[in-house]
Amino acid sequence: MRALRVVHLTKRYGTLEAVADVSFDVAAGECLGLLGPNGAGKSTTIHCISGFYPPSAGQVFIDGHDVHADPKRARQVLGMCSQEDTLDSDFRVLDQLVRHATFFRIPTREGEPRAKKLLERFGIAEKSGELVEALSGGMRRRLQVARALISRPKVLVLDEPTTGLDPGMRRSLWEILVAEREQGAAILLSTHYMEEAERLCDRVALLHKGTIRDIGSPRSLIERHMGAAQVEEELRPGVRWKRPPNLEDVYLKLTGARLHEAAE
Amino acid sequence: MRIADSLWGVRCVWLRYFDVFRKSYVYYLVTTFSEPFLYLLAFGFGVGSLVGAVDVDGAAVSYRRFVFSGILGQALLFQSFYDASYGAFIRMYYQRIFQAMAVTPITLSEVLWGELLWDASKATLAAVVIASIGAALGDFPLYAPLAVIPVAFPSALVFAGLGLAVAARSRTIEEISYPQYLIVFPMFLFCGVFFPLEQLPQPLQWIAWALPLTSVNSLMRTLVLGFPFQPWAIAVLAGWLLVLVGYSRRAMFGRLVK
Repeated sequence: MRALRVVHLTKRYGTLEAVADVSFDVAAGECLGLLGPNGAGKSTTIHCISGFYPPSAGQVFIDGHDVHADPKRARQVLGMCSQEDTLDSDFRVLDQLVRHATFFRIPTREGEPRAKKLLERFGIAEKSGELVEALSGGMRRRLQVARALISRPKVLVLDEPTTGLDPGMRRSLWEILVAEREQGAAILLSTHYMEEAERLCDRVALLHKGTIRDIGSPRSLIERHMGAAQVEEELRPGVRWKRPPNLEDVYLKLTGARLHEAAE
Repeated sequence: MRIADSLWGVRCVWLRYFDVFRKSYVYYLVTTFSEPFLYLLAFGFGVGSLVGAVDVDGAAVSYRRFVFSGILGQALLFQSFYDASYGAFIRMYYQRIFQAMAVTPITLSEVLWGELLWDASKATLAAVVIASIGAALGDFPLYAPLAVIPVAFPSALVFAGLGLAVAARSRTIEEISYPQYLIVFPMFLFCGVFFPLEQLPQPLQWIAWALPLTSVNSLMRTLVLGFPFQPWAIAVLAGWLLVLVGYSRRAMFGRLVK
């Protein structure tokens, strides 16, 4: 059984189809990347997967449970980190992890040691007693990912988790996500960072205007669409160089858009 | 099983609010009770010494007792409305707590019930404390703190519904001021907190009776001052309860769920 299964998911806002007949699945121990620029439909897809937005058509199954028909059971094994900062600023760092754990029926005596371990793992243990406002942007982001892990979810859904992080923090978060995947978590990661998708994801779904243009491993996508030919680009006027093709090239070829372009 | 699960979810949300309240109880106590006390001191003791007795439906009471009982309704109105409007707007728009809780095994419906019930609980606590002080001063009977609860809680739920609806319909936090000044303050001034409705022109009396605070004040005065029971006050309150709680939840769903 696939840990996460998205079947013909469609989300319409009036005449606008924000997500159009999207299907994919993620196995336990696999990381699938949703790669696309802002406005491609990544966050809407993720809102539908979490059960927060009802789909116009299609279904989402988490650990075999339909998230819209049986949200409680489905979300019992779901860890969510949304793109927006949703930390509970009424609580101190440790307390908010412990409180969040109670939403998954994890009692305080169990939630507290889990929370302490997570804070150590994410390098913010010394901030345990601080209010969220005392944390830097990078620390807040890490805390939000840590909160998503408090229930030891089978399915981890992360919406642009490294946006705003410096390269060092981004790499340390990648290491944590790799460890989670190795421990058997199914990870769905939305990103517009090509390097992140190439490094972390076993498979990548290229999302453009709400549709998946192709899905496969980064290597297979590059081979399928770009072949082995080197890509020539101009570093600065008059200075050209050749490099191996990457996912950005694939995305550009398939959609005519770059990953860092805002959607029109 | 589903009902038990839902009740568990609502309880989780309620406990989250209680935990925040518990951690900062001094702040909450000061901000919750200072306003009713100031009204009591200014109007009950200050204006009360000038006015003397008030005659309502053949029952004469001191102005201080009259205002004191009105402050119960005022505390319910302000406490519930402000928590559910400004408070919920902050939780929904700035903190995004509703969204964070509603992607756990707790549903958005349970989050909103938890919000409304907590706002009503906190306002009911305020009413109970004010009634206790009234009982201690000899203005209310000794049983008043317990007797007010069955009216205070649903009344607070009505005003929390109003506040949550306002939070859901306001695009910015500043927009909450419109219903605050155009609905809440007029209710506070013209629904019998400070003077009997009979002092108003007849058309204004009719408008006042249609507003929920008048029914709350009427029922509270029946409980703590022994004023004649007005059965329709329950009907008016029940009507507002159904309308505002139902509408506020639908409006907040519409705001958050696209």
